Amino acid sequence: MEANRGQNGIQQLLAAEQDAQHIVNAARNAKMARLKQAKQEAEKEIAEYRAQVEYEFKKKVAESSGYSGANVKRLETETDAKINHLKNEAARISHDVVQMLLKNVTTVRN
Amino acid sequence: MNDADVSKQIQQMVRFIRQEAEEKANEISVSAEEEFNIEKLQLVEAEKKKIRQEYEKKEKQVEIRKKIEYSMQLNASRIKVLQAQDDVVNAMKESASKDLLNVSHDHHVYKRLLKDLIVQSLVRLKEPGVLLRCCKEDLHLVESVLDSAKEEYASKVNVHPPEIIIDDVHLPPGPSHHHGFFHHHAEAHGPFCSGGVVIASRDGKIVFENTLDARLDVAFNKKLPEIRKWLFGQVAA
Repeated sequence: MEANRGQNGIQQLLAAEQDAQHIVNAARNAKMARLKQAKQEAEKEIAEYRAQVEYEFKKKVAESSGYSGANVKRLETETDAKINHLKNEAARISHDVVQMLLKNVTTVRN
Repeated sequence: MNDADVSKQIQQMVRFIRQEAEEKANEISVSAEEEFNIEKLQLVEAEKKKIRQEYEKKEKQVEIRKKIEYSMQLNASRIKVLQAQDDVVNAMKESASKDLLNVSHDHHVYKRLLKDLIVQSLVRLKEPGVLLRCCKEDLHLVESVLDSAKEEYASKVNVHPPEIIIDDVHLPPGPSHHHGFFHHHAEAHGPFCSGGVVIASRDGKIVFENTLDARLDVAFNKKLPEIRKWLFGQVAA
């Protein structure tokens, strides 16, 4: 009778140990799974951040290219104006310059 | 011990084992959470830093590219203006060059000019014997003033009147090829010989171009700074 009861007791203890082992293992597995999640969630956050930064960047680029397009136009207009002014001035003095040159050529100082 | 006590003890031990396991499981769970957060944070921050650096670099490159483009535009504009300045000034020279053709039409005035040019050339060369070249059309006029030119030179410089041989090769009416006799190459003078003379020492080593076109070149180059100043208010470099 006593031996039977003793056996039962030991079995209970063994079963308890087994359960304990299961519990701890489960926790360990859960930990590993959780750590893997760290990488996944990190990647998700990173992708969101990158998208945000990219959006800001594109916006900045679009703004500034509009600005420089206007600059180029302004430059072109200024240049054309300069050249026009030049041509007008030249027309104004051309005759006098030609006369001066001719006089220089046909006058001999001996 | 009786059975009840043993049973009770066993139960206690079972509970204890269970409790320990659950406590341990809890610890593991807590540390899992902590490590999860740390790991995630580290990964995210490291990558964020890289991304920021990457985009800073991109922005800089865009800046640089824009600066270069603008600089190129600026240069192109400047060149355009400089080219226009050049064109305008050369057009005046062209215009003068065309007008030169009319100079020889007034024979009276032109004859005087030819004489003066010959004298001037003789003074420059200071040679006792020279070779003279002129346009075919000017031959008569040149011959008619040759003697008075010699005299004027002789009395001016106090030497004997020089010997002047008129070359039977004439100044060409078209784009010129100067062969062996003239050792240096003259610029192609206009489409016509406008007038004037070329005088060389007998051995052909010293040449003085006193054609109207050559004189125009000289006058133009000399007056260029002045002309540019009138036009653009600055002196050419």
